[in-house]
Amino acid sequence: MIGEPYNDVVREHFAHPGHAGDVPDGAIGYFEDQGLRIRLSAEVAAGVLNRLRFRAWGCPHVLAACEEFCRRYEGRPATDLEEFETARIMEDLAVPVEKTGRILVLEDTVRSLGQAIQDLTDTPRE
Amino acid sequence: MISPAPIYLDYAATTPLDSRVADRLRDVQSSAYFNPASNHIAGRQSARVVAEAATSLGALINVDPASIIWTSGATESNNLAILGAAKQRAHCGRHLVTMRTEHKAVVDVFRALEKTGFEVTWLSPGPEGQLDPETFEAALRDDTQLVSIMKINNETGVVQDIEAIGRICRARNILFHVDAAQAVGKVPVDVSALQVDMMSMTAHKFYGPKGIGALCVANGTALEPQMFGGGQQKRMRPGTLPVDLIAGLGTAATVAAQCIDDDLCKLVMLKDRLWSGIRGIDGVRLNGPEQGGYPGILNVSVEDIEGESLLLALEPLCVATGSACNSQSQEPSYVLRALGLSDQEAQSAIRFSFGRQTTVEDIDFAISAYRSAVSKLRSLAPGIAA
Repeated sequence: MIGEPYNDVVREHFAHPGHAGDVPDGAIGYFEDQGLRIRLSAEVAAGVLNRLRFRAWGCPHVLAACEEFCRRYEGRPATDLEEFETARIMEDLAVPVEKTGRILVLEDTVRSLGQAIQDLTDTPRE
Repeated sequence: MISPAPIYLDYAATTPLDSRVADRLRDVQSSAYFNPASNHIAGRQSARVVAEAATSLGALINVDPASIIWTSGATESNNLAILGAAKQRAHCGRHLVTMRTEHKAVVDVFRALEKTGFEVTWLSPGPEGQLDPETFEAALRDDTQLVSIMKINNETGVVQDIEAIGRICRARNILFHVDAAQAVGKVPVDVSALQVDMMSMTAHKFYGPKGIGALCVANGTALEPQMFGGGQQKRMRPGTLPVDLIAGLGTAATVAAQCIDDDLCKLVMLKDRLWSGIRGIDGVRLNGPEQGGYPGILNVSVEDIEGESLLLALEPLCVATGSACNSQSQEPSYVLRALGLSDQEAQSAIRFSFGRQTTVEDIDFAISAYRSAVSKLRSLAPGIAA
């Protein structure tokens, strides 16, 4: 890691993680791997992600990716979670390629959250 | 994004240039830039500058100035000492001894020697980092020809009993090299009393310029040169001498000799203040001895905190996670792993190191920043189970 390791987006998200915390009684997605732990919680009404919150143990890129995910998906249909991909977030946060595995932990957590929402709403998925 | 002014607590990585050293550098660069190997009046003027610097360094560490070989820094000194001695004395045996907690500039040299047929015994430290002299002696064999142990560990500040190890080596006629990069100019060092055959050092760790170091080689110790290209420095390390940098090192040595006692008193106070300010945080542990370590380094780990995030959360505090030389790696510190720390504990380790220009206000800021960072990151983390 030579030079500036974090871009301005990562620094801003890390300094001001406005979506850190929990949604009480919300759907919960959780995944841990490679020593990282990520927990996402969501309040869903009429199929829309009204509130998203995260908790995470990881490097600044992981924390920033969680915050970025919450900002992007809050207010969107829960079905959009199925389209979540790490590539765009990695690009916008300038995540070094050697940290790809860490961002994939977020992808697994998002899948876990999608499954939890499906279980709560008992809506069959295609 | 405007960055706040850094608060520098990374003196083990490098130190600021002392103003007296800077003055000397400028003076020599303009008045004695000549090649000291040139056989004319100007060259002899530069040669005198080099000789004066050797006298200053010799006085600081109690060695004959003639025993000093100028190098580019401690890494080169370590390479020359270990490779040069091991190869020169291969007929005496191919067994070498060092520690797992040495600096990379020693570890990697021994690894290179292993690939060429030398056998290396890698000694583990005790839980606080010290090498037990009895354990050390038990590792020696009839074919042991070289030992290398550092004086002060660059990550933890652990101080090894060099005198005891030197005594054992001398009794067995084993060559003894000491990497003293963190010691020379910071703590009193008496090479002659320590029974050390070779000692590595570098100027930038004690307020001198970067790019200049030295290897002291006891009289009668032969080394195989590792560079070729001229007859300078008895052919052991050829190349035109950087007179300005050498003069800077000499001045840094003179200043160190004047300041060393006051520096140490201040460092003891600063380290106590810092440790007192953070030791009460839940899950914090000191990596290194509670007593007797070098007072310019405090290495701490904290439970359930990710190290890279901790480092960023501590900005504008300039501290280190591993050694600076190793900070490009995300791997947990091998030095701390050798002390028995888990990967997580080692990965969360922060090395605070301070020096002559560190203030009480800097330390108080560090305490506040560390407490705040740990609190913030813990508030962000989920529990172990969802």
